[in-house]
Amino acid sequence: MDAPVYYSKAEFIETDTGNKVSRRATIAGPQNIILGGKTIISSGAIIRGDLRRTGPGHAVVISLGRYCLIGEGCVMRPPYKTYRGNFNYYPMKIGDHVHIGANSVIEAATIGNHVIIGKNCVIGKFTIIKDCAQIADNTVVPPNTVIPALAMFSGSPGCFIEDLPESTQEMVEAQTKQYYTRFQPLDR
Amino acid sequence: MAPTIQYYCPCLSGYPIQTPPPPHMPSSSASFHPLHSLFFCEECDAVRCNRCVSVEVSGYYCPNCLFEVPSASVRAEKNRCARNCFSCPICRTTLSVVASDPPNEDDLPGPASISTVGEPPFFLYCNHCRWDSAEVGITFEKPTGLAAQLQKFEDSAAESLEFERLKEHFEPFLRTSSLSSSSHMPSLASHSLHTSSVTAAASAALARDIPGVSKYNPHTRSRAGRDRTVNKDEMPEYKSRVEMGLFNQLGSGGDEGDVDFMTHIETASEVAKLEQRWGNSWVSSLKTSDLRPLRIPLHSKVSKRCPTCRHILIKPEQKAQSVRYKIKLVAANYLPAITVALPHTHDVSRRIQSKTPASTEDKQTIIMAGKSYPFHLALTNPLYDPIQVRLSVQRMHVTAATDGTAPDKARRTPFAVSLPTSPFPVAAFAEAWEYDDDEDMFGLEDDELGLEPVGKTSRDRDGRGKIKTVGVLERRANVTIVGGEVVIGKEARGHVKFNMLVSYTYRSDDPLPSEDGAGTPSRVIAKAPEVKTFTFYTVVDLGPITPREESKVEPEI
Ligand SMILES: [Zn+2]
Ligand SMILES: [Zn+2]
Ligand SMILES: [Zn+2]
Ligand SMILES: [Zn+2]
Repeated sequence: MDAPVYYSKAEFIETDTGNKVSRRATIAGPQNIILGGKTIISSGAIIRGDLRRTGPGHAVVISLGRYCLIGEGCVMRPPYKTYRGNFNYYPMKIGDHVHIGANSVIEAATIGNHVIIGKNCVIGKFTIIKDCAQIADNTVVPPNTVIPALAMFSGSPGCFIEDLPESTQEMVEAQTKQYYTRFQPLDR
Repeated sequence: MAPTIQYYCPCLSGYPIQTPPPPHMPSSSASFHPLHSLFFCEECDAVRCNRCVSVEVSGYYCPNCLFEVPSASVRAEKNRCARNCFSCPICRTTLSVVASDPPNEDDLPGPASISTVGEPPFFLYCNHCRWDSAEVGITFEKPTGLAAQLQKFEDSAAESLEFERLKEHFEPFLRTSSLSSSSHMPSLASHSLHTSSVTAAASAALARDIPGVSKYNPHTRSRAGRDRTVNKDEMPEYKSRVEMGLFNQLGSGGDEGDVDFMTHIETASEVAKLEQRWGNSWVSSLKTSDLRPLRIPLHSKVSKRCPTCRHILIKPEQKAQSVRYKIKLVAANYLPAITVALPHTHDVSRRIQSKTPASTEDKQTIIMAGKSYPFHLALTNPLYDPIQVRLSVQRMHVTAATDGTAPDKARRTPFAVSLPTSPFPVAAFAEAWEYDDDEDMFGLEDDELGLEPVGKTSRDRDGRGKIKTVGVLERRANVTIVGGEVVIGKEARGHVKFNMLVSYTYRSDDPLPSEDGAGTPSRVIAKAPEVKTFTFYTVVDLGPITPREESKVEPEI
């Protein structure tokens, strides 16, 4: 029923935990990025793990949970602000079963579990997206927006549209797992 | 457009008719819903939808600060957040509280944020459209308690005061009527009785002379009139302290001032849009420059009940941002999930494609008149017991010339659908398949109900292939894929859309202990094994038919 989504075997690196990362994605500062497992980073995506808080030591800049999908051409950039005169980047935390559509720019502070973000979205700095929320394609979410659980946001600026059904969690979980299964290598 | 399937809730059909309207009637769409939005009442053994369930608020919260507001304060705070949450009057974005500090050089557009200690006066600033409250003369000495200051302004409006006085006036009456009715009446009846007498009293009090408006006189409804006189005896007459004419001066519109304003506008944005105005509690001015920041309206969590037996179908956890439920009886846990596909549209060479709910599928489904197409139905069993499914197409009572405009010929036989005629099994749902991460999809050998999957086999009409199109095509885990076929008439137009009756039998010989209230995917029958049947309607939409004239022009897909 569900047609496989093929990718070229040569293009993707598969990790021990089943993450599939395109060689055509730009992963800056990989030591500061955590992938939970079975997460797919598509071709052309840019993940800025290099934009870390100033100061010594190791810091997690961007963490992604399990069964996430970063679509083609997405930009994941940690949020920044000047606080008491000091410019700093702040970490970005993303939960499990989060799909982000192609060409979206994400500067959120936290994204919960079972969240779906459409294509061509801009998620402003320090946005907080709670569990099971969804953002329609082409939505522009202004900085510091809070998106409550099970809310559907759309438009520019992104506004609350409706409450999502009670079964959203199960649906998104099934969809993200299914996508991972459908994402198959093609030798060539 | 990808083919779709929706499930029927019989709540809109007049009792005792339980069959859905024909799929081409515009009213049909109101009766069909995606499976994931439906509920299931075990007590009634029936599907319920958001249209028919009764909804009760179980908690309030602010969608911005996520504070859970106790219901006691919701009323006093007029259903809006009483903390520091405001939305932009122009674009509805949440406003930030900012200080009047000299702008920071590093910072991109926008004044200093609240986190820097800040110098007064403080004002509200929109991160999206750059509106700020200082423009309309709203500034604050301290960055806290802003909602209270704004609410004071809201509450001092003449309309608000009048509303408060009306409430006060009705308060004693409401109290006594609710006391007397609740003492000896069942809850449902008392509710309707209570509201009808209260509304009658309210309309009596409100039916005072308004200059320029002739009084509404319901001659025909004698009963309502009698109610009114009864209530008039109990209620002292209400005297407004505000002259009606005064409201016009407050900008309720239509006076010379508005005309003057409208004749002198230079850009359309000077006039406040409807969506910028209708969220206001009271009449507001036409001018964009008069718009004020709004305290953010609260959201609610709701419980849902079966409209017939009053059993709870949905009960969320108390915590506002929890996505868990104490009770969740959704139809997806009881009815097989069905998906539809047109195999001729599959494009295997497609590369990575992000699948989002709002995205429009870029693959084009083209169904041409005068041809026949196979289609696939994949049924997924959510029950811990195997099921036997029987599908049939609902007879369409196509009356000739329904609207007189379309040619009769096309109306009568637009298309014919073939489905497997014999019942077929769908294996039981097993937890392991879900947790073993999907890779191990394997076929099931035997059918536990002892019935062979005998599908009616037919050949492709064009004789191009010898593959089976109608019947069971594939069985793996708890999914069975069956094939159907549709033959499109030569003059057909519109959508290939038909109502499909799904009937499934299930039995439970080893009743599993019910885990908790949160939707047990198994029908537990306490007694000896028993075979039960449940029947429901769906509507299948395979997509629009490309008429023949156009199809000649269309290039090959
Ligand atoms: Zn209903
Ligand atoms: Zn709030
Ligand atoms: Zn704005
Ligand atoms: Zn019921």
